[in-house]
Amino acid sequence: MRALFNPLTGAAAALAVSASMAWANPYEDYAGTTLVVNFPAHPHYNAVMKVLPEFTKETGIRVEVDQLQYLKMRERQTLELTKNKGDYDLIAYVVFSKADYVFADQLENLARFFMNPKLANPRYDAEDLIDGYVQNIGVAGGTKGYLPGKTGSLFGIPFGSETSVLAYRKDIFEKHGLKTPETYDELLDVTCRIPKLEEGMGGMASRAASGHQASHAFLLHLAPLGGRVFDDEWNPIINNDAGVAAANALKTIVDCGPEGSQTFGPAEAAASFSQGKSAMFMDSIAFAAGFEDPAKSKVAGKVGYALHPEGVRRGSQTGGFGIAIPRNAQNKEAAFLLMQWLTSKEGDLKVAMAGGNPSRFSTYQNAELNAKYPYSATFGEALKYADPDWRPIIPTWGKINADIGTTMSKVLTEGLDPQEALDGVAERARAIMDEAGYYTWN
Amino acid sequence: MQTANVNRLTPYLFLAPAAAVLAIALLYPIGYMIYASFLDWNPSQRIGEAEFVGLRNYINLLGDESFRESFAVTLKFAAIVVSLEMFVGVGLALLLDRNIRGMSLLRTLFILPMMIAPIVVGLMWRYMYHPTVGIFNRTLKNLGLEPIPWLSDGDWAFASVIIADVWQWTPFIFILSLAALQSLPQSALEAARIDGATGWQQIWYIKLPLMMPVLVVTCLLRLIDAFKVLEVILVLTNGGPGLSTEILSLRISRTASEFRELGVAAAMSNYLLILLLVLTLGMFLYNKFAETRALRLRAEAEGAAS
Repeated sequence: MRALFNPLTGAAAALAVSASMAWANPYEDYAGTTLVVNFPAHPHYNAVMKVLPEFTKETGIRVEVDQLQYLKMRERQTLELTKNKGDYDLIAYVVFSKADYVFADQLENLARFFMNPKLANPRYDAEDLIDGYVQNIGVAGGTKGYLPGKTGSLFGIPFGSETSVLAYRKDIFEKHGLKTPETYDELLDVTCRIPKLEEGMGGMASRAASGHQASHAFLLHLAPLGGRVFDDEWNPIINNDAGVAAANALKTIVDCGPEGSQTFGPAEAAASFSQGKSAMFMDSIAFAAGFEDPAKSKVAGKVGYALHPEGVRRGSQTGGFGIAIPRNAQNKEAAFLLMQWLTSKEGDLKVAMAGGNPSRFSTYQNAELNAKYPYSATFGEALKYADPDWRPIIPTWGKINADIGTTMSKVLTEGLDPQEALDGVAERARAIMDEAGYYTWN
Repeated sequence: MQTANVNRLTPYLFLAPAAAVLAIALLYPIGYMIYASFLDWNPSQRIGEAEFVGLRNYINLLGDESFRESFAVTLKFAAIVVSLEMFVGVGLALLLDRNIRGMSLLRTLFILPMMIAPIVVGLMWRYMYHPTVGIFNRTLKNLGLEPIPWLSDGDWAFASVIIADVWQWTPFIFILSLAALQSLPQSALEAARIDGATGWQQIWYIKLPLMMPVLVVTCLLRLIDAFKVLEVILVLTNGGPGLSTEILSLRISRTASEFRELGVAAAMSNYLLILLLVLTLGMFLYNKFAETRALRLRAEAEGAAS
């Protein structure tokens, strides 16, 4: 059956798709392989699922996908990656897993695949990949260990990555003659004016639930307001003026936000915006497709998108997923071919047209994509300011992140003083970092 | 001679499979957990690669403010929830221990909450507590009252979690108490009635003391459960706001998955296990004490009679 199937599909692919196929089939040796991959249940990867059959048709490589909720996915991977022989040939990983997996030596360095002339496509054009994403998600071993730099190398390729933009209600802003906020001062001003202008409407819907969500929301404001969690020698500086300003900004936003926003997770915040209960929403670009879907959203067609406002600098979040090959994978070469195919110019565009988040600048400039999703141009612009260092990606981050999150929740709900709260976070973070050996050289 | 040996061994032979299952299914995991609690172990390592740190996890936990807060929250939660449930559950059982028409239907209705999956209970209450569209706040608003920040204020969130738990688990106590009530010796009650005891006196001097052994066990079961409750709180508040509803089992789960410290999580579980053992032991001793007291009283009574 397979023998019959391959020549047919090979011929069809040669006729139908890229020119490179016309004179050779680099996939020939791997046709018939079945790859097992682990993807999250996420809009981007749902789009990937629609595109994968084309890959199988073109290459003869079959793909079996294990799709899990993204936090479950991480738990599953943690177990899978410690086995001698892993079940997964390719994994999508959440950005903060990079530190843990690379540190435990569980991901393949991609150099040996890109050096292999039989595997690497010379027309891949890696320069076209979005810098901030590659730095944030793909590279490890450079500056501070998790950032790019002269000693860094590539372990994954961004795929389904996200940055933050400001979504706002064009109709409400026009009705009251409000200006789209470009700076944090304007943002905080307008967010508290809206509840007074529109009965029952909150200014901005934000994540704020205790734990990871509150921490995420705080860090979203920390980078543009000039703050960082650590300085270059790993001293916690989260409690400096910029940190306090970020905490106050978050408190203002939540106080002027829709009712009950102290406990919002991302889904609830997005629902508040799409149900018309809030005038603004500043979070990942991944939510945009949902807002424009009239079946799920009451505000489809009424939403404007703007860059993440500027504080003392521009700095929008970087996050989402990358794809990598586990060290214990059993079909590494074929997995690389799939990875390369998905993140190539053609693959990226296909996934984007199906509703995914592009990883390439060229995709964002594509006329067809812009016609289908008019906000793509703004998102492409936002990516120029994507900040790979908006949160540290180090093995101790899980614990510090949780501490920031519960402490911020106390600031938001129990009226804890931001300075006092952040001083406590800094002190505990220092102890955690000390125990993990970050001050060995100081 | 040989047959005698074989005969003596036979009972052990029959016990062996059960003992083996017990050892594998119960002792092995507990031993594993105790061993893990002495390690500095993150989930990316195999257990063999983890560093042995002795009692460090236990000592660090004692100094960890968040752990102590979460421990206090757990104690408070278990104490309030179990007392409320005992009070309401036993009260309901006393009220409904009579022949009312449609009683069996009522009883089934009463125990429904217990049968619902905890995740669903969490979601249900979460929607009811919703700040704008939830039934509670909508009702309050219709009555012209201020809405309550059910889940977004520390104290209210704690109360909300308690309400949900009481709603779900009171029926458990109710059915057990009702069963106990219905198996009470009728002779004692009749004697009391003949002697002219009032309803309250019957409850206070006859029914409750006779139900006591069952109530003690029920209370213990509920306590153990209350210390381990996870899903409802996970869905309702995820431990927030702040740490106000972060009970120990939730903290253990976060330590393992979010902080990636399996050793510390194991040490916490052991603290919880020790606490529960102490409780169980306490109940056991109380039972023993009550039994010997009853025996002594009976002996005295018999002595006086003769």
